[in-house]
Amino acid sequence: MKTARARISVIDADLTPLIDLAFLLIVFFVLVARMSGERLPAIPLPQPSDAAAAPAGAARRLAVNVLEEHGSAVFTVGGERFATDAPGLERLVSAIAQRLRTDPTSPVDIRADRSLPYRAVEPAIHAITAASAQAGTRVTIRVCALHAQGGTP
Amino acid sequence: MNADRAISGTRVRLAMTPMIDVVFLLLVFFVCTVRFERNEVVYTLDLPQRGRTADPLALQERPLVIRVGARTGDRVPIDVQADGLRERPTSFEALAATLTRTRRGAGPDAATAGLFVADHPVLIAPAGDCGWQDAVDAFNAAVRAGFRNIGFARSGA
Repeated sequence: MKTARARISVIDADLTPLIDLAFLLIVFFVLVARMSGERLPAIPLPQPSDAAAAPAGAARRLAVNVLEEHGSAVFTVGGERFATDAPGLERLVSAIAQRLRTDPTSPVDIRADRSLPYRAVEPAIHAITAASAQAGTRVTIRVCALHAQGGTP
Repeated sequence: MNADRAISGTRVRLAMTPMIDVVFLLLVFFVCTVRFERNEVVYTLDLPQRGRTADPLALQERPLVIRVGARTGDRVPIDVQADGLRERPTSFEALAATLTRTRRGAGPDAATAGLFVADHPVLIAPAGDCGWQDAVDAFNAAVRAGFRNIGFARSGA
């Protein structure tokens, strides 16, 4: 009986460090996901019939959102809000330019509410152009729309 | 059963609870980060400083201008202006057809048909009170017609 006990070896896998590491990785990925991929606000984008546009794709892009709030327009970039008055537009230009300096290759997308008039969206186009000049880069400006059902993308 | 294992001499004990915890956490993480974005499409815009050319002696092409006014009911005033061309299509479908006719290489007699090449600048000039939907519809018509250099003009220009 004594000799049989001596032959028994117990393999006890210690999973605690593995779980610690998994938790650390989860925290890391959650933080990175929040920083890299901004959550785009749901905007009723224009929906042209038979849209002849390219899919937006999953590539990195800088979105300038033009939202309709109580009958007027509000710009947002990366969750930051900007008014449509002169100081607000100045801040918008600086914010876009700052992002373009860190990532000069990503296209800048205009995501505007389809119910807004052109004069409300136009400052966003000029702000991107001014930011491009400020950052010393040549950006690709894109206009976002929704692919209508039944049309060809 | 335990007795058999004990006799064989090796006992592997795996704690499954933390493993399942982690799996659940990963599941929650992916559920939270998944994006249910609708089919978003993009039109590439030509920058307004297109007119500046490196060669000061090079001829600057006059753009084909599409003026879009404010919508009244179902009707949107559209005016297509270019050298040797002035048309007022009544819808965005008609605008796409007009622009296709004006593009060289689009018709059956590809060599001669149309005044403008696909790279010819096209300027969408919406009025200030023109809806963004209509402005994008006009842009879409130009893209459908096969033009590649399309930009937005300043309102009132």
